[in-house]
Parts: sequence; structure tokens; C-alpha cells
Amino acid sequence: MSTLEKFRAISPAEFFYRNKEIAGFANPARALYQSVRELLENALDATDAHGILPDIEVSIDRDANRPMVYRITVKDNGIGIPEKYIPEAFGRVLFSSKYVLRQTRGLFGLGAKMIVLYGQITVGEPAEIISATIGSKKIYSYRISIDVKENRPIILQRSVWLNTAGWHGTIVKISVEGDWSRAKQKILDYVKRTAIVTPYTNLVFRTPDGEIYAYPRAIDRLPPPPRETKPHPHGVDIEMLKAMISETKEQTLLDFIANEFQGVGRVIATRFLQSYGFNLEKNPKELSKEELEVLAKALKDFNEFRKPRAEYLSPIGADLIKIGLSSILKPEFVDAITMKPVVYEGHAVVVEVGIAYGGAIESLEEPQLLRFANKIPLLYDEKSDVSWKVISENIDWSYYDIVFPAPIAILTHICGTKIPYKGVGKESVAEVPVIERGIEEGVRYVARSLKLYLARKQREEEYMKRAITIIKYIPEVASALAVFLRSNPEPVNPRVIEDRLFELVKKRYGEHIKEISSPRDIILSIE
Amino acid sequence: MDEGKRLSSSVDVKARHLAAERIRESFEKICKAILVGEEPKLIIPKRTLANTVYNSEKGILILGSATFERSFIDAKESRKFMQTMLMARIIYEALINNEYPTIRDLFYRGKHSIRYRDHKGRTGEENTWDEQKESDSVLRDIEVYVNLLREEMLILSKEKGKVVGDMRIRSGDDIIDLSKMGHGAYSIEPTPDLIEFIDVNAEFVLVVEKDAVFQQLHRAGFWRKYRALLITSAGQPDRATRRFVRRLNEELNLPVYILTDADPYGWYIYSVFKIGSITLSYESERLATPKAKFLGVSMTDIFGDKERGKKSYLSESERRNFIIKAKKTDIKRAQELLNYEWFKTEGWRKEINIFMEKQSKLEIEALTGKGLYFLTDTYIPMKIEAKDFIE
Repeated sequence: MSTLEKFRAISPAEFFYRNKEIAGFANPARALYQSVRELLENALDATDAHGILPDIEVSIDRDANRPMVYRITVKDNGIGIPEKYIPEAFGRVLFSSKYVLRQTRGLFGLGAKMIVLYGQITVGEPAEIISATIGSKKIYSYRISIDVKENRPIILQRSVWLNTAGWHGTIVKISVEGDWSRAKQKILDYVKRTAIVTPYTNLVFRTPDGEIYAYPRAIDRLPPPPRETKPHPHGVDIEMLKAMISETKEQTLLDFIANEFQGVGRVIATRFLQSYGFNLEKNPKELSKEELEVLAKALKDFNEFRKPRAEYLSPIGADLIKIGLSSILKPEFVDAITMKPVVYEGHAVVVEVGIAYGGAIESLEEPQLLRFANKIPLLYDEKSDVSWKVISENIDWSYYDIVFPAPIAILTHICGTKIPYKGVGKESVAEVPVIERGIEEGVRYVARSLKLYLARKQREEEYMKRAITIIKYIPEVASALAVFLRSNPEPVNPRVIEDRLFELVKKRYGEHIKEISSPRDIILSIE
Repeated sequence: MDEGKRLSSSVDVKARHLAAERIRESFEKICKAILVGEEPKLIIPKRTLANTVYNSEKGILILGSATFERSFIDAKESRKFMQTMLMARIIYEALINNEYPTIRDLFYRGKHSIRYRDHKGRTGEENTWDEQKESDSVLRDIEVYVNLLREEMLILSKEKGKVVGDMRIRSGDDIIDLSKMGHGAYSIEPTPDLIEFIDVNAEFVLVVEKDAVFQQLHRAGFWRKYRALLITSAGQPDRATRRFVRRLNEELNLPVYILTDADPYGWYIYSVFKIGSITLSYESERLATPKAKFLGVSMTDIFGDKERGKKSYLSESERRNFIIKAKKTDIKRAQELLNYEWFKTEGWRKEINIFMEKQSKLEIEALTGKGLYFLTDTYIPMKIEAKDFIE
């Protein structure tokens, strides 16, 4: 099945190598936030990345007996996990599609595994996973814990039900130690911001206090899912190169370079290998340590490879950003833009920027910033993020006629197979010049658009104001003038004069006063 | 109303009818334009200094030919337009209801508040006018628009001017003998055009700025002895006094002499009588008395005039005691007067130059300080006899 993910086991050492930056379980509040986040991201990856309009329910229940124990339940309608992979996916370190790259929210399986581990350490209860793949006749349920030493799942219970309703998707229930009162605001923000960039999702969130936050689907259209792509030579380091060589089935260096990388054809691969003095026919598995080092460096240095391609990425798209901002923030104005792809260390990166203004948005002393990376909301370390730098330092808002306090929100989304995060928390993006420039240009574009809108609105208001200035005097003028008319042959009703005067105002201001159908619409009383 | 009509004088009734009809016709035009879908607008002569012209031939200030347009469909003008219609209606209704409103009455009658929803959906509240300044301003617009003075529209103002003399007039339906006012005087009514002159026995009109001096001259029998009509404006003249003086001059051919303090303020009072005021230049045609003469007190009365061999009426010591040092505002006012076309005559240049040089002024009362009968029997008769006045 093409939609199936490819799962493979890796060693714990490799697990830490690839995931050393992942922290996020520092304290109970952060751990609860992190758990919800990982499970929600997995649920989305199991749906929208596979062309399914997501229906996702997230709930957190407080344990009746034990303080600081919460059970998190996340239910999705995604592709499900094949039965034989369920224990592995939650009880052993797994990840998908090892040497192919794909834009994903998290690293699939890894987050869930961390939560299972964390729950096991702090609460000691097994995780419960219920899943059915598309078309599966059965639904499988597992209760799993992890043999930490052996990095092996322990299956405590397995049940199978008939899938009579044709359901597919995954339900995960894990109990963890957490601190809802401290995590609440971040989790609510996280869910809301997720809803903004996935307006095609039906998202329901139930808190331990029983509050329901429902974000109904605003549109039935998904962005094109991300596709797998081979690594670009500029984005490969020596460890990755070694791993690729150990996996490859190609027999010669030429075939390996030409077939396992993107941006390289046989002609360029030949020229590349020759110019660095490699034997085209050599089996890559026979390269010496020194040769490997030379090759790794050469792959980065050679500048005749084609540029990394962005069509494998899945930007949200300007339309969806606008719909998301509109439906969640309820502003009076939105705009968004998807910028042309740029290249960062051999990876294509696409920057998107959205703006929302007025309406239900609160007026603040600075723009509200909604940051996203690969569709994940970034909530922490805002002030050290490149997006913050752009909107607070690079942009002079007064140029766009924005005077703070102002009701304005800026959305930035960076998507790519590699995001230049700052620090291990992966909560802020570094000030990489190409990305900073992309964000700045994007912000300038949407800010210009807002400026135009505000100017137009002000003009409209000015016309409306002028029209009302006149209209409010109509009854007074009409009743005065009626006095001068000889009742000849019949007395003229002042209302007739009012109507005529209003017609004259409409003739001049018609398009700006569509909502007003008579002077009495705006006159409340004359005393 | 019927009783009101019955009790009011016949001249009133006639004036009322004329004014009401004029107003009605002028504003009915606007209403008819609206009914056929035309933009309602008023074309009104401008009442600005720039549109105030000194007509040297007539010797008065008149309104120039510049006009402005007040369109209702112009947001900048719509409020004024509304106020103008409102004012016209109030005046018209007062006329046909036999009323005599004052300008304060007009202000109150028209003042109401309009509550409305503004362009942002908020409730706004606005008064048709907030201050009498606003209603007074549109009243002036209506005067020039329909070409009727407020007196002709039977709008009353406070009586200020007084007159005594050997003369009979009809005011309303009564005949009043201005020589039988006792120690008092006849208050010139706000509608002097409704006064009918019956007979007069006088050779000239003397207007004095100061009420106190007027009373002194009256009790000293000045008007009887010198066959004068004695008038005071009690300061800056009101419209009724100016119109009354004008009629005496125009209809009875009586020369008019004006006696004020010797200072720029007194000079300006004289010029208002003679040629009109800048703010109300549209009324000059009817209110100004171009032939009025400035009798005094002049600078040459105080300091003499060597060129003409004229001696001062004051001795050295009297002058020292009576004159007052001019204030800065007096000097400034005098400089302004020099710029006015109608003060650019030889007589006035000399007068103002002496003032600027001496920086001194003098009140009429200073002359009575020399003795009341010096004023009544020496100063005034001598000045008139010698034609020692400025025109």
C-alpha cells in the first residue's frame, strides 16, 4: 500500500543521535503540553498528509484519585497503524522513511514513544492504542509498556473487534504526570493555533475542567500533502552519508550519486566525481574513511547540482491561511502570501506570511505573532525568533499607518525538510539571512495590503461620515421648508421633501451609504 | 392671535405682511427646486471685510458683489444650510403669528437636539445651534438673502438710543410729542421705519455719544434754545438709532452733527453713523448718514491749529488737567483707522496725526468741567457757526 509508512527499528544510540535536541519533558506542566502536542501532531500527520480531512478529538481527564495525573486521549480518523506495527510504533523506537526526506510535523512515532516512556516512569500505567487501517475488517486494541533496557514493547493485552462501521484511524490513551493549571494557557493556545493553520480540520478539545473548545471545519479542501524526496547533496553530512551507503543497493559510485540524491543526473554526477578524482565504478561500500570524508565535503562544496526542489513541500497556501485566520480570529481584514522557495543548507524552504486586523482581535502594544514551522505552532522563546526580529526591528509599522496599540496579528510559517531551529527546544527559528529576508518580504507584502485596505476603509468612512452629516439634517430642513410651500393644490407632506433630499444625497454618496435606506435609519430623535 | 392682530398697530400689520411674503417667496423657490430634484442651494452675498467696499460717491460702506454658495448637499455647508432654513422658518412663523421675537428668542426657539447614529454606529447628539453667535450669524445671512433688515422682519432688540426735541411723531397708533418728555426722553423704537414724522421745529440734529452729556444738555434746555433735535446713542449706536438719524437727515433735510470723545473710539462711532460698520455693511444703504459731520471734540479744539490760526478752547493749565494719556490700544486703533479709505481725508489725517504726536485723548465731560454753559452756549454754537467740523 502506497499510503503505508515504512517502519524500521533503529538502535538506541541512533535514537539519541537523531533526537538529541528533543527535550520538552522538563517539568510536569511542560510535559503535559508536550504530550498533547506530540499526539495531536501525529494525528494530523496521519490524516492531512494522506489526503484525509481530519476529525480529531483531544481530551484530558484528571485522575480522580491521584493528584497531577492526567489521562490524555487523542482520536483521529487517519490512515491507522497496521496491526503488526502497533507494538513497535509505541513500544520501540521507530521512525518512518529513513533515508528519504519528507516535511513532517514531528518525527513520526518518536513523540508517542517518548510519552509512553514518560507516562511509564511517572504514572506507571501502560498506554492504550486502538487502531484500524483503511479498509481493515478489524479493529485492534493494545495495552503496551516498554522494556527500557531491551528497547522492546511489552504487550500487556491485545484485543480484536470486528470493524463493522468501516472506521479507520487511531485512538491513543496515555496517563502522564502533568500540571494542568500551569499548562492550560499554552495548551489552549497550541490547539487554537493549530486550528488556524488547519482550517480543514474538525478539532474538538475537552479540558480536565470539562470545557469544550470546538473548531469546526471551515473548508473541505486540503493542501497538497508533502511528498518524499531524496536528500540534496548540500544537505548531507558524513553520518548521513555513511548510513545511506550502508543502505544503498547501487554497485558503483556513479549510480549511487546519480540515483540516491536529488538535483543530480548522470552527467552532473560524472563531472562531480571526476573533478574530485573519484573512480566512477568504485563500489561505494568500499570507500575508505578518508575517502568518505573527502566525498562528504565535496558533496557540500560542489555548486553545479541543481537547486533543491520545493514541490515536495506542503505549504499551507495563502487561501487556507486566510480562511484559518478568519474563522478563528474573526478579524475584519486578512491577507496572506506564500513566498517563492529559498534554499537553506541544501533544503528547500518555503516562507508564508499572513496578517489579520481588527474585528475580534485585541488591541495590543505590539503585533500578536503566530509562528509556525512545518504547520506546528511555536509558542516558546518568541522573542528570540527570527520572525519576532522581523516584525519588531525590521519593520517600521508607522510606514504602514499602524499606530499601536493596534488589533493586528501576524502569522509566519516556515516549511521545509530542515528548519534552522535555535537551541534544543525547537521553539524558535534562527536568524538565517535567506529566511529572514523571506519573512520580511512577506510581512511587507501583507502589511502593504493592510495599508491599502485601511486607506480604502478610511475613505469609505469619510464618505459615510459626510453623508450622515447631511442626512441627519434632512428632517429639520424638510419640516422648515414645508412651511413655505403654499398648499396649492394640496399641502405637501414634509416626508416627501425628506425623500427628495435623501435621493439627492444618495445621488452623490450612493455607493457609500448602501445600508441607509431612509433618513429615519440614522435619526433617533429630534427634541 | 386674532386679538394680537387687533391690538397691533396698522403699520405693524402691513410691515408684517410684506416681510412674511418676501421670506415665503424666497424660500419657496428652494423647496420647489428640491421637489423637481435640483440640489438646494442659497446664493448669499459675502459678509467679509474683503467684500466690504467704500463707495466714495455715496460716502458709505456697502457690500461688494462677491457671493458664496451654500449647498445642502455639501457636507461642509449642510449644517449652516439647515440653520438658515430653521431660522427662516422661525422668523416666518413669528411674522404670521403676530409675534415680536428678539434675537435671543430666535435662538431659543430654534435650539433643539438631533440624536442620530453616526458612521461607526455610535449614537451622536447635536444641537441645531449651540450659541447665539450661530443663530445671529444665519440671521444676518437671511437679512442679505431676502434683502430685509431684521427691523423690517419685526425682530426686536434692546432700545438704546434716545431723542428729545420740538417734534411730533406717530409710533404705532399713538402720537408722541418729543418736546414733552419731561426730564426723560423718547426711546427710539427698534423699528424706526414704522415711525411717522408728523411735524418738526428744528434746525439741526445733535447726536452725543454720552448719555450723561445728553441729559445735561437736555436739562439745560439746549435743544429749545438752539432749535435742535437732541439724540444720544449711549455709546456704540444701535441700528435703530442709526436708522432714525438717517431718516431725520434724509427726509427732513436736517444737518446732523456728532459729538464724541476725542479718541479713536469716538471717531469710529462717528464713522459708523456716517458710513456704516464693517460687519454690517449690507445695512449701510439704509442706516448710514453720509452727510453727518464730526463736530468734535477734535484734536485742534484741544491743541489749536496754527495753520488755520485756530486757537485752542482750553487754556494751558486746563489742557494739562483734562487730557488723558492715550493707551497702547488707542494708538493701535488710530493706526488702523489711517488705513481705512474713508479716513484718508485731509481733515482726518490732521486729526489723527495730532493724536499720534501728542498721544493724548480727551472726554467730552472735560469740557463741562470748564462749566456746563461753556459747552451749551460757547463750544457747540461756536463750532457750528464757524463750520469748524470734519466731514
